Amino acid sequence: MILKVIGAILTISSCTALGLYFSMEIRTRLKELCELRKYITILRGDIRYGGTPLPEAFKGLAERSPGSFQGFFRYVSQELLLLNGQTFQEIWEIGVKKHLNDTCLNKQDKDNIISLGENLGHLDREMQINTIDLFLSQLEGEINELSIVVKERTKLYNTLGIMSGIFITIIML
Amino acid sequence: MDKKEEILKVLSLNLRKVMAGSNLNFEQLQEIRLRVNKPLIVIYKNKEYFINKEYKFDSSKKNAYIVTQNEMRETMEYISNYSLYAFEDEIRQGFITIQGGHRVGVAGKAVTDGDKVKNLKHISFINIRLSHQIQGCATPILPYIMEEELVYHTLIISPPGGGKTTLLRDIIRQISNGAAEGKGTTVGVVDERSEIGACYMGIPQNDLGIRTDILDCCPKAVGMMMLIRSMSPEVIAVDEIGSREDMEALEYAINCGCKLIATVHGSSVDDIINKPLIGRLVKEKIFERYIILNAKRNIGYIETICDSRGTVLFHG
Repeated sequence: MILKVIGAILTISSCTALGLYFSMEIRTRLKELCELRKYITILRGDIRYGGTPLPEAFKGLAERSPGSFQGFFRYVSQELLLLNGQTFQEIWEIGVKKHLNDTCLNKQDKDNIISLGENLGHLDREMQINTIDLFLSQLEGEINELSIVVKERTKLYNTLGIMSGIFITIIML
Repeated sequence: MDKKEEILKVLSLNLRKVMAGSNLNFEQLQEIRLRVNKPLIVIYKNKEYFINKEYKFDSSKKNAYIVTQNEMRETMEYISNYSLYAFEDEIRQGFITIQGGHRVGVAGKAVTDGDKVKNLKHISFINIRLSHQIQGCATPILPYIMEEELVYHTLIISPPGGGKTTLLRDIIRQISNGAAEGKGTTVGVVDERSEIGACYMGIPQNDLGIRTDILDCCPKAVGMMMLIRSMSPEVIAVDEIGSREDMEALEYAINCGCKLIATVHGSSVDDIINKPLIGRLVKEKIFERYIILNAKRNIGYIETICDSRGTVLFHG
């Protein structure tokens, strides 16, 4: 009997934890997208008003971003300063693949970030701003969509976790 | 960072190998010229050389190393720090100053807006001119442009590549530092093309002395006014004056009691006097000393120094 109770508690708690994990992931993704929006907006300002070159701009971003993007920005700025034969696009893409793995961003988000890198660096300032604006509006859309569903989803995941735990326990009993 | 490193850093990987392999002394190197699908040319010790595929100096263009479009693109990326947009204003003028104060001239297809050049694209010609800091090169002329601690309004006249910026730089350094015990002079430098101080992120890479304030990348006319109001310099130094606004700012500076040291393209005082804008200042005898350089013998060779009436004070 004791064993059964322990088993039931373990099943329910692990399922609940799974539910919580999923709901947390979606909340973290929203948080990270908002963070990204903040940093890209700073980058936009740096380019628009300061005419700051990219290595310097990313170094500045790395210094003031304690969150998930610090490693990524630092990597990009360091690699850019090495001048070792890679194009900006290559450095940016490797950076996304290497340093954004620990984040909760999904594949689509990362693809969007990679495609931002394709147009950074060359052309004139106006073009840079337009590219960044396009990315920001995409990001904005994503954030809006997510913030509408985030409450429902977290609730759903949480309840689903607990319920599935109870369900499995009942079946096993 | 030494000169060799500064230059190699901005070249594409292949060109870096070629230049590093050629074993040349970067202190003697004056220019590197890159043109798409054309041979790599360097100006070394006042002479033109090709560099061949075995990384050797060569005076014949047979077997010379040919620069490809890709290398050009890569080099441009390095020169601009992957950020061409940040150098929009510089590119519009036709050159970028890189770390170390070296000037990179560019040409390609101009994008125009009305009769103004908006930008350059498809950059296919690059000329890297190495800046040389020769400390002490102004020592022989200092007695002619200074009396006790007072500096005369001085105009340095020289053809392009004659060494006027190098001379100006050393004059600034010496009058700013002053003699070992004597008092130095506060100098304000408007460095429109970042050539004099070669500022990198606001910090001068060349030694311009301890009493020098530098306004980097600022149009000369506006910059001179700003410096006079903000830093109260005793001497104002500018490079390559020429436009109408420059002349107005020069007059303003003189009226404020500042002494001027400026450079201009030309070959003699007579040559300058015929130019419409600067000629007027010469006729009005505003400049008290003229230093004429002549690069025919060697760079930085001082041909004559004369005063406002044309009396020769020094003959090289």
